[in-house]
Amino acid sequence: MNPLTALIMKELKDLFFSKTALLLSLAICFIFGYSFYSAVSLYGTASSSAVNNPLYAAGFEPVPGVFVPTFGGLFLIFSLLLPFLFIRLLSLERKQNTLELLLQLPFSLGEIMAAKALAAILFILFIVFMSIPALLLWTSWGGRLPLEELTVLAGGYFAYGVLILSISLFSSAVFSAASASIFALMVIISSWLVDFGKEMNISSLMLVLSGWTFTKNMKYFEEGIFSLKALSYFAVLSALFFFSAYYFLRFDLRKKWRPISVIVVLGAVLMIIASLVSFNRDVTESRRNSFPQHLAESLGKIKTMKVEIYLEKTDSRFRDYENSFLKRLAIVRDDVESTMATGDRLKSNYGLFVYTVNGKSETTYSTSEEEIFGIIFDLAGIIIGRTPERAHYRGYPLVTSERQQAAVIFVYFLVLPLVILIAFGSKRVRSTRRSK
Amino acid sequence: MLSIRNISKRKSETTILDRITFDAPENTITGVIGPNGAGKSTLLRTIAGFENPDEGAVLFQDAALLSFKVKKQLFSYMPEYLELYPEYSVDEFITFIHRASGFSDANLLKALGLDKVLSKKVRHLSKGYKQRLKLYFALCNKKPIVILDEPFDGFDPIQLLEILQLIKREREAGRTFLISIHQLSDAEKICDHYVLLDEGRIVATGDKESLRRKFGIADASLERIFIEALK
Repeated sequence: MNPLTALIMKELKDLFFSKTALLLSLAICFIFGYSFYSAVSLYGTASSSAVNNPLYAAGFEPVPGVFVPTFGGLFLIFSLLLPFLFIRLLSLERKQNTLELLLQLPFSLGEIMAAKALAAILFILFIVFMSIPALLLWTSWGGRLPLEELTVLAGGYFAYGVLILSISLFSSAVFSAASASIFALMVIISSWLVDFGKEMNISSLMLVLSGWTFTKNMKYFEEGIFSLKALSYFAVLSALFFFSAYYFLRFDLRKKWRPISVIVVLGAVLMIIASLVSFNRDVTESRRNSFPQHLAESLGKIKTMKVEIYLEKTDSRFRDYENSFLKRLAIVRDDVESTMATGDRLKSNYGLFVYTVNGKSETTYSTSEEEIFGIIFDLAGIIIGRTPERAHYRGYPLVTSERQQAAVIFVYFLVLPLVILIAFGSKRVRSTRRSK
Repeated sequence: MLSIRNISKRKSETTILDRITFDAPENTITGVIGPNGAGKSTLLRTIAGFENPDEGAVLFQDAALLSFKVKKQLFSYMPEYLELYPEYSVDEFITFIHRASGFSDANLLKALGLDKVLSKKVRHLSKGYKQRLKLYFALCNKKPIVILDEPFDGFDPIQLLEILQLIKREREAGRTFLISIHQLSDAEKICDHYVLLDEGRIVATGDKESLRRKFGIADASLERIFIEALK
């Protein structure tokens, strides 16, 4: 066997067949199963009045209705439980001094850390793949599976899991096991505190920082937006923590702070560059984050576009307008300049919107999408026909029976835990027999 | 010959090792002895490459060993505190070492008595057997220089004699040993040369005869020499 393969096999065994991993896998089964069961029940109840009403049915989307709440349980597990498992990867080796043993074998520190990271990444995939029974159940009931949107959702959780892994490796490289857990949780919870601070309008700093939190960047994936910015954010931050951990463990370096400082500076620069990346793609079938395809294509033909808004930022009309129009517009075109009027101009024209398209301007007090697009395409000289039939999202309500819902409990509370327990037990028995 | 030249190490304001210089001739067993806190473990860790000296160098055949990569080709190091994977069976541990390094030694396994406990989990082994397993790791790889930090803890007198014989056989086979020992009686049974350390400084080096001559106490035991050296 290749030495590196032996190392990877060891790491996989140490991680997957540890008691901590067993307990975590069982907890994931229960939380995942319960989240899916609750989501399916609620979706089913609400669907009953929509199955014969096409207008109402259009509001039923399986991903935000069922799978985002189901994966939501994973967010808590990833944030609060996963660090304990991943911290063990390094902290046990450090505590037992076996890292010194491994380093005397033909492995470099980089290879040892990469093998640990690989095992952990496979464990993250294992967790994400625990959603497969839910997807199979859903399709067997005739439910719709928007694969692209689901892939983005699962990909987001995978990226978040990798970030948690690198934070855990960094914590365990710097601190002993108990302190490492506290540090990792501190980093994760600080991110939540910033979100909370933003919601409570505590300070303008919170508003700036909130753009960099884990939850904010996870939101893209949950909303069905493939965001290169969010992806770069997770990739850069993960690399930053991983390489800092690596250099922190380099006992042969006299001045570790030098490479670590370089990594931090490089990471900060890359984070700034990542924040400038503006490639966003709405992968939802309903295009709820942007506009129907024919409108998006027409908007793409416009050379320059500017919006001047005569509202206070705290005005509820502005918030509605921002969420229902500006954010969706930004997904289609990220170069639209929007400015807020101030001073006397704001007072004398309060409530007005000025649209400037290809140098020509027109005003309106309306925030209706139909009115706004009428103005924009008139100014641009683009004729928009009737909305094509395929552009209307038909919606996929699904009523589930109690029996079907019970199947969720059966699979996630009995079958999967049993499979995990049998796999765990048989591996242990096999290794004992082999030894004898 | 393994040569240690002017190795110094400081932590904050405390000097842990102060210009340590000595030679460990090939095919010999050099004992590093000294009271608790003398700097024995730090010295061995530094020689093995797991600590960076502030000054000085480790030389082998007059060539300075600058990188850990080079040192790990030559040195096999067994730290004093090493908790081998407690959930592994002895067999699993040995198999992993074999697969990872390509080294295995059935005769050594038998000589250490480990063949009788292959199915036992490491956490269920007695302290003596845990030490044997650590020794197996240090010896099975056939590296020319073996650095052992307090390897004799946990052995009863009979087991100790077996282990001492085993190490002597390895020396005869051409390996050089550098061993830290706090039991002077144990050191006396096995070492060819001594490095007496106190508070990070060398107080004396040499074989037993030269130490006796140096302190003018003929026929003295190592314990007596050590007491004289510390005066």
